[in-house]
Amino acid sequence: MAQLILDELRRNFGTVKALDGVSFSVEDGEFFCLLGASSAGKTTTLRAIAGLEKLAGGSVTFNGQDMTHSPVQGRGMSMIFQTFALYPHMSIYANLAYPLIRDRVSRSDIRRRVNEVAELLRVTHTLKRKPSTLSGGEQQRVAIGRAIVRRPQLLLLDEPLTNLDAKLRNDMRAEFKRLHRELGMTMLYASPDQLEALTMGARIAMIDNGKIVETGTPQGMYGAPSHTFVASMLGSPVINLVKGRVNQSGSHHTLELPFGTLDLSGVSLRTELSSGDSLTLGIRPQDLHVDAAVEGSGSADLSISGRIHLTEPLGDVTILDIDVRGSLLKMVLPEEQAATYSLGQDIGLSFSLTDAHLFDADSGARMN
Amino acid sequence: MTDVAAVHGHAKSGFWARLTAPENRGPLLVAPAIITLFVMNIFPLLWSFGLSFFNYRANRQNVPEFVGLKNFERVLTDEKIWDRFQTTAIIVGSSVTLQLIIGFSLAMLFAKHFPMRRIIMMLVLTPMMLSFVSVGVFFKLYYEPTFGLLSWVVNLFSSEPFALLSSSTGALIGIIFADAWMWSPFVMLLVLAGLVSVPKYLYEAAEIDRVSSWRRFVTITLPYIKSLLLLAILFRTIETFKIFDIIYIITEGGPGSSTESIAVNIYRMAFQNFRTSRSGALAYIILFIVIVLTNLYLYSVNRRAHEETL
Repeated sequence: MAQLILDELRRNFGTVKALDGVSFSVEDGEFFCLLGASSAGKTTTLRAIAGLEKLAGGSVTFNGQDMTHSPVQGRGMSMIFQTFALYPHMSIYANLAYPLIRDRVSRSDIRRRVNEVAELLRVTHTLKRKPSTLSGGEQQRVAIGRAIVRRPQLLLLDEPLTNLDAKLRNDMRAEFKRLHRELGMTMLYASPDQLEALTMGARIAMIDNGKIVETGTPQGMYGAPSHTFVASMLGSPVINLVKGRVNQSGSHHTLELPFGTLDLSGVSLRTELSSGDSLTLGIRPQDLHVDAAVEGSGSADLSISGRIHLTEPLGDVTILDIDVRGSLLKMVLPEEQAATYSLGQDIGLSFSLTDAHLFDADSGARMN
Repeated sequence: MTDVAAVHGHAKSGFWARLTAPENRGPLLVAPAIITLFVMNIFPLLWSFGLSFFNYRANRQNVPEFVGLKNFERVLTDEKIWDRFQTTAIIVGSSVTLQLIIGFSLAMLFAKHFPMRRIIMMLVLTPMMLSFVSVGVFFKLYYEPTFGLLSWVVNLFSSEPFALLSSSTGALIGIIFADAWMWSPFVMLLVLAGLVSVPKYLYEAAEIDRVSSWRRFVTITLPYIKSLLLLAILFRTIETFKIFDIIYIITEGGPGSSTESIAVNIYRMAFQNFRTSRSGALAYIILFIVIVLTNLYLYSVNRRAHEETL
C-alpha cells in the first residue's frame, strides 16, 4: 500500500518558516493536489517527502515505514522537477535509461522499458537527440518518462506545467489524468494553478505560508470553502468578498453591507453573532444574477443595483465588473446576454442566500 | 582637413594635420604597440628562424654560411638531445599527473563550504602567483643537505646524511615536486570552475534516480568538467614542456645532466656554447610540437562544441 502520511513537517530557512507544521495524507493510488501560491511551501514539501530537504521536525511515513531519515535513493519515490532537470549532456535515451542503472537489469530489458515509456509519452522520435534540441512539451514528457520508467510507488510532481505555454498546459492536464489511469500510481501534484487542482485532483490540500489551510475534495472545497483564503484561491473569476457589520434586534440578525442589508434569519451559523461583529460575505461571480425581481421571480434574497464599470469578453462568456456604491463586484454572463449591456449602464443584481458564503472577517473562518 | 585644423588654430604643417586627422587617430594610437611588437617579437622570431638555416655563432664574427636543413638534421640525430627529450617527458608526465591529482582533490575540497574557506583557498593559490625564481630558491633551500627542512626531517629517522639532489632520481623527484607544488593550484582553479558550473538540481535528479555517488561523479561531474580538465592538462603540458627556471635554479640540470630538460639544453647550447643556429633549430622543433599539441586540444574542444549543438 503506497500510502503517504506527513505529520507536522517543519523546515526553516534562516528565520523564515518554510514549512510550519504540514500534515496530510495521500491514499494509495490517489491523485492528490497540493495547491498554493508561489513560496507557499509546495516545493519544500515535495522535496522534504523525497528526502532532498532536511527537516527541522515532523515525520514522513510511506508504505507504513518511517522514511524521515532514509536516504533519497531508498524511498521508492520519483520526482518531476519544475525545471525538468534533464541531463543536458546525455541523449534522451540515456536520460530515460538512467534511473534503471541501479536495478542492474539487462541491456535488452532497459531498451524494452525505455521504448515502452517513450511510446507511452510519444517521444520515440527524439531518443537519439539531446534535451536542448527538444521543445518544451517534449522535454516535459521526457521528464515524466524518466520519473515513471522505473515504476515508482509514488510520483511527486513539482509544478510540472508551469514552464509550458497555455495550449500545452491544457493538453498535458489530460495527459496526466490518462497516465494516472493507465499506471495507477500514487501521485502528489504541486501546483499554483487552481484549474489544475480542480480538474485533476481527487483531493486537494491547500497550503499557505507553510501551513495546510484545508484538505478536501475539489467539489467540497469549491462549494463550501472553510476559509476566505480557500474561497479566493478556488474558482475563476475570483469570488467577490465584501465586508459587513452584524446588526442584532432580539434574535433577529441582519448583515449591513455597503450596498444593502442582508437578512440572516434563514442561515444557520456555527457561532452566535452579536451586534457589531464583522463578517465577510463571499459570493461567486457565477451566483450573481441579473435582477430577478424585474422578471418577477422571488428567489433572490438581496437585490442591488450598480453600474457596469468594465467588461472582459472571454468568447463564450463575459466577465462584468460592476460598481455597486464603491464596491466592485464581478459577475459572469453568457456572451449574448452580456452583449445587451454597455459600459456605464445601470444593472440590477441579485443573489440567493443559499449561494452566500459567510466568513468571520478577522479570522477568515467560515461561519455558515 | 586643414579647415578643421585652422578652426582649432594650430595648423603647423600639412603633414602634421594629416597625421592627427580624426580618421587617422586610430592607427596613430595603435602604432607604438605594433612597432614594439614587431621589433621585439616578430622580427627576432623570423630572424632566428632564418638563422636556423645558417651556420651562425653569436660569439664569432664569421659571416653566416647557408647550410640548409643541416642544423635540424644534427639536432634530431643527436642522442644527447633525445636523452634530454626523455628527461623532459619524465618531468612532464610525472608533474602533470601529480598536478592533476592534487589539483582535482583540492577542487573537490573547495567545492564544499566550510569555515575559513576563502582564506584557506587564497593561501593554497599563493604558489601559483610566486615567481619561478623564488619558488626555485625555496626548494633549493628545502633540499639543502646540511640545514634544509627535508634533510632535517629525514635525519630525525636516520643518522645518514641526506642529500636529495645528489642522486639523479632524487634530483628529478625534487624538480617534479617543486613544479607540481607550484602549479597544482592552477589545475585546482580550472577544475573548481568546472565543478561549480554543474547545476545542483542535476545531482538531486540523480539522487532521485537512485544513482550512487560514484556513478553521479562519473556520469554528471566528469562530463561537465571534461573540457576544463582537458584545458588544464594542455596548459600544464605545454608549460611544463618548456620547464627551465626552476631546474636552472635548483639543480642547473645536474647532477650530471640528469635533470637537464630540453629548455635547459637549448639555453646551454645557445648561451654557453654559442651554437646559435643549432639551438634555433631545436627551439623551432619544440615550437612545432607545442603547436601540434595545441591544435589537438582545439580539435577536441571544437568537436565537443559541435556535438553539443547537434
